[in-house]
Formats: sequence, structure tokens, C-alpha cells
Amino acid sequence: MRIDDLPGELLMWVLIVSELLIFAAGITVMSTLRLRDPTGFAAAQALLDGRLAAANTVILVTSGFAAARAERAAAQGQRRQARIALILAALGGAGFLALKAVEYIGDAARGITMEGSPFFTFYYLLTGFHAAHVIAGVVVLLLVAWRARADAGQAGAMFWHMVDLVWVLILPPIYLLG
Amino acid sequence: MDGLTKTWLWLMGLVVATVALSQIGGPVGAALLLVLAALKSRAILGGFLHLSAAPGWLSAVMLPLSIWLAMIWGLGLL
Repeated sequence: MRIDDLPGELLMWVLIVSELLIFAAGITVMSTLRLRDPTGFAAAQALLDGRLAAANTVILVTSGFAAARAERAAAQGQRRQARIALILAALGGAGFLALKAVEYIGDAARGITMEGSPFFTFYYLLTGFHAAHVIAGVVVLLLVAWRARADAGQAGAMFWHMVDLVWVLILPPIYLLG
Repeated sequence: MDGLTKTWLWLMGLVVATVALSQIGGPVGAALLLVLAALKSRAILGGFLHLSAAPGWLSAVMLPLSIWLAMIWGLGLL
């Protein structure tokens, strides 16, 4: 196992691991606070709409698939295909954000606020911070699509897979584990 | 079918399994959901981020990730 074996830029891996650690710390603190009020956390969690989260998982994973294809096309010098796939991946990110907005609007309509319970504080902090990464990712994908070069395509796809990876890890503790 | 498509289909299957198992509840249900999260992570790291082609690195990332997921499961038992 050598550093040189890692695919892509080492700096991207530093970023990916750093982001994983940040979100893992947030989930760990949330899970620890749950011990003080398991009933309250379960009642709060039951108010969330898991169907939208599941739909968003499908969107994000499919968007990641498009980013992976874009990376491969860019590496093979197929810039047009890479550009199309990167734009499709960015559209997936936009779709994720639109659905997240619908979810937040529904949450607000049901009186779910950040101050409502410690669970909701972490719910908004973690999903909001993740959504901020999705926004950044969409911008990165569109910027990379401009030239669709191999190195930039790989870096953009790696960032997008990191966003995808974080989502599949924070989803169960926030939405599913009562 | 290429490797990327296989990874995507595998991930879709894991998402469907997650939705199906989310109704179980309890420690067993939680454990199954976290195992599915680990499998999804492994698919993304290995298939999309190409760690499966980097000898030793996929295990090096999955080991601490799996320990962390087990810790989250353990906290749910307390």
C-alpha cells in the first residue's frame, strides 16, 4: 500500500477524509446526545419524511454515476461526452437541492425548527452543511464541464463522489435509526 | 455491462434494500441498515473513487469507517 497507488490528486483524498471526519464527528455527537433523551429523539425523527430522503439518495447516486462516466470520458479525450455527463451530474445535484427544499418547506409547515429539539438542531446542521457541499459540487461540476479536461474532470468527479459518500453515511442515523 | 454500470446497479439495489429494511426497527434492523450503509460506502469508494484498484487502500478506509458505524450502532443500544 503506497501513497502513489491512490487514484487522483492526494489533496482530494485529504479533503475527502477531512469531510468524512467532520460529518462523522457531527453524527457521533448527535448519537451521544440521543442517550439523554431517546424518546424525544425518536418522536422528533418520526416527523421527518424519509421518502424524500430515499428519493434523494437515488438522485445523488445516479448523479454520481454520471460523474464517474464523465471522468472516464474525459480521461479518454472524449470531451463532448464528458461535458454532457458532467452537466447531467450537475442537474442531478440541482434535483437533489430542489427536493431538499421541498423537504425543508414541509418541515417548516409542520413546525419543525432548528430550536425545536436537539435532534432537529443536528438535523438542520448536518443536512444543511451537506446541502452546502451539494451547491459547491454543482458549481464545481459546471466549471469543470467548461473545458472537460481529464485532470479537472477527475477532481470534479472525486468531489462529487465525496458528497455522495457523506450522504449515504449520514442518512441512516438521521432518518432511520430510531 | 461495464464496471461503472455494475456499481450503479448495485447501489440502486442497496437503496431499495435500505427502504425495505427501514420498517424492521430495533437493534437488528439498525445493524442491517448500517451494514447497507457500509456496503454503499464500499461501492462508492471502490467503484466510483477507484480505490479497488489501489492495493490495500479500500480496506484501509473501510476498516475505520466500519468501526465508526459499529460505534454508532452500539450507542443506539445504550
